[in-house]
Amino acid sequence: MAVGEKKWEWEIQAKTSYLGPGFKELWSYRHLLVNQVRRHFILNYQQTVLGPLWVLFQPIITLITYVLVFNKLVGISTGGMPPVLFYFAGIVLWNFFSDSFTGTSTTFRENAEVFSKVYFPRLIMPFSVVTTHFLRFMIQLLFLFLGIAYYTVFQDFSPDLSLWVATFPLAVLTVGAMGMGLGLTFSVLTAKYRDMTNLVGLGIRLFMFVTPVIYPLSTRPDEYRWVVLLNPLTPLFELFRLAVLGEGTVTMLQLTYSMVFAVVILLGSLLIFNKQGDKLIDVV
Amino acid sequence: MAEAIIEVDHLSKLYRLGTIGTGSFRQDIQYWWTTAVLKKEDPFFHLDTEEQAATRRDAIWALRDVSFEVKRGEALGIIGSNGSGKSTLLKIISRIVRPTRGAVRGNGKVSSLLEVGTGFHQELTGRENIYTSGYILGMNKEEIRRKFDEIVEFSGVEKFIDTPVKRYSSGMYVRLAFAVAAHLEPDILIVDEVLAVGDAEFQKKCLGKMRDVSQSEGRTILFVSHSMQAVSNLCDKALWLEKGKLQEIGDVGGVVNKYITGIQKFRLRHSWESPEEGPGNEYVRFKHVEITPHLKHEDDPVDIRTPLTLRFQFWNLMDDVELSVGFVLFNYTGECIFDVPSPSIVYKKGVVEGECTIPGHFLNDGSYYINLHVVRDTSVMLYAFEECLSFDVEDYRGNIKWFGKWWGAVRPNFPFRLEQNREKTILQEKSL
Repeated sequence: MAVGEKKWEWEIQAKTSYLGPGFKELWSYRHLLVNQVRRHFILNYQQTVLGPLWVLFQPIITLITYVLVFNKLVGISTGGMPPVLFYFAGIVLWNFFSDSFTGTSTTFRENAEVFSKVYFPRLIMPFSVVTTHFLRFMIQLLFLFLGIAYYTVFQDFSPDLSLWVATFPLAVLTVGAMGMGLGLTFSVLTAKYRDMTNLVGLGIRLFMFVTPVIYPLSTRPDEYRWVVLLNPLTPLFELFRLAVLGEGTVTMLQLTYSMVFAVVILLGSLLIFNKQGDKLIDVV
Repeated sequence: MAEAIIEVDHLSKLYRLGTIGTGSFRQDIQYWWTTAVLKKEDPFFHLDTEEQAATRRDAIWALRDVSFEVKRGEALGIIGSNGSGKSTLLKIISRIVRPTRGAVRGNGKVSSLLEVGTGFHQELTGRENIYTSGYILGMNKEEIRRKFDEIVEFSGVEKFIDTPVKRYSSGMYVRLAFAVAAHLEPDILIVDEVLAVGDAEFQKKCLGKMRDVSQSEGRTILFVSHSMQAVSNLCDKALWLEKGKLQEIGDVGGVVNKYITGIQKFRLRHSWESPEEGPGNEYVRFKHVEITPHLKHEDDPVDIRTPLTLRFQFWNLMDDVELSVGFVLFNYTGECIFDVPSPSIVYKKGVVEGECTIPGHFLNDGSYYINLHVVRDTSVMLYAFEECLSFDVEDYRGNIKWFGKWWGAVRPNFPFRLEQNREKTILQEKSL
């Protein structure tokens, strides 16, 4: 038989590719993605007392704590915005980021069992995690809008809505991209080095304090403001609040910085994930 | 001639042994520096020659330079002892792990079934798990919908389909999981030892299903199993791996026979030169133990028809003592099959010899080991020579069409009469 003339549909080699499985293959597994998202929801709420209410319960409890501690006890100014709305906006966006990040950062660790038994594009798993958190975020966002409506009607709060309102999907998507990008990078690290998982948990908690979640950027003293501005999440949080509450400080330059950062980290992490993913099964 | 559907080309897989711990971060950086920046050879794997590889202790070749071809519609059985690289080979072909060297090329869709219930989740219902597992194994929505009823029927868990699988019995769980897998329609199906679970009835059903798949639908199957019976029945070709190397590939009967006789040669015989070397204590020391099968030809495998004779010698280090020997046989799950005592007789110092024969058509197929107990005055255990010999008994069924695991600790060939009572039959017919 003439070897070498034959056409093969696929080949498995030692070398792994940066480009990974390609879009066509990912698309053919789209049902798995949907199924995994469904599964995340079912698993989270099956056999629980509050069930799906947890989607709102968790941020609301956090909100109450923040209002009591940071606003009433510590007295951090929310820059004229009603504290409840201010914190809630920060909390839901922050949760979206931190859940996407921590959720994807353990991709290999959590799925080691199934990854070592069957092949499918590994990217499906982190995508499904981010999609789940995105849907959860959308539900919480709806609740935020209800809150804003309530404050406008009954509490004499008038958000000066401008054209900025149209930009908030941009803020949300960029936050999601950044969470997933960082998460994918760390998923490779947590697979190799166990202690990275702790670092992720610790890091995300500390990172919140340099992000304008519990304070508006405008109230930071000028000499330290650069620290907060260095954080690519800052312009996005400010933009988000500007869009939904009508207050926030953000410039085009800062926004560009965030977006470039998000795109670079997402593309970079996808390359790393594809390149390293197949090798990691031996290590996890 | 059928076209080749998979080509395995000089495939090798190296595993690093030992813990991958804190040291590995530094090593990774060093590795990256030498390979990516300095463009040199891998600093940790200088494995250009076999001798160098053989001397390394922290690395093991799970596969070494394996090449073969599988043709469309073929069912290839992969056999070999534990750790011979069978599973590694399947994992590479399934795209789960990457080879260290070499390549696998192929045509068509591959589905692998390396465990029963991949992607199953305890909290989800049977229905949800069918979908989850189906998607993970590479089916699409349309396919699962179309086969859903068939899957449920095959598994026989209709009543419980909307119950979380954590409340299933383990048998139901396995049946449902296999039912999903059995309805995959890939060009190449890869199956690893999945028949080790489940009850005999279901095993038979699975084997039947898989045979249908390979024979009538022309699908290619790669099948790993420790059951030579299953391999012989399902496959037309077999591949024998030994320590990661390809030992033999060819017609299933020939390869299986060679493999069985190959692994059976060992562990059947031990001898010791002097009482100091022999196993034992201050009372007795063993000189020789062996188990000999009575075979027509030396190359025949030991199967359930073969009588086996145990012979042993030991030095009795005491004078005028009443001794007997217990011949205790265990199967590999550690269950005692029998404990046969010898007559108890008074012996002087010196070598004592013994012999006992297990008749053919008595043991079931499986792996066995022998303990020898030397007993004084039929009551005091002097020495227990544990696991002194071990041997395998292969299956033989002749024309029997049942392929599942044969039940029972033993498989004796008792006289068995079965007939129809003619008078009664006639009476019944009349009354009709």
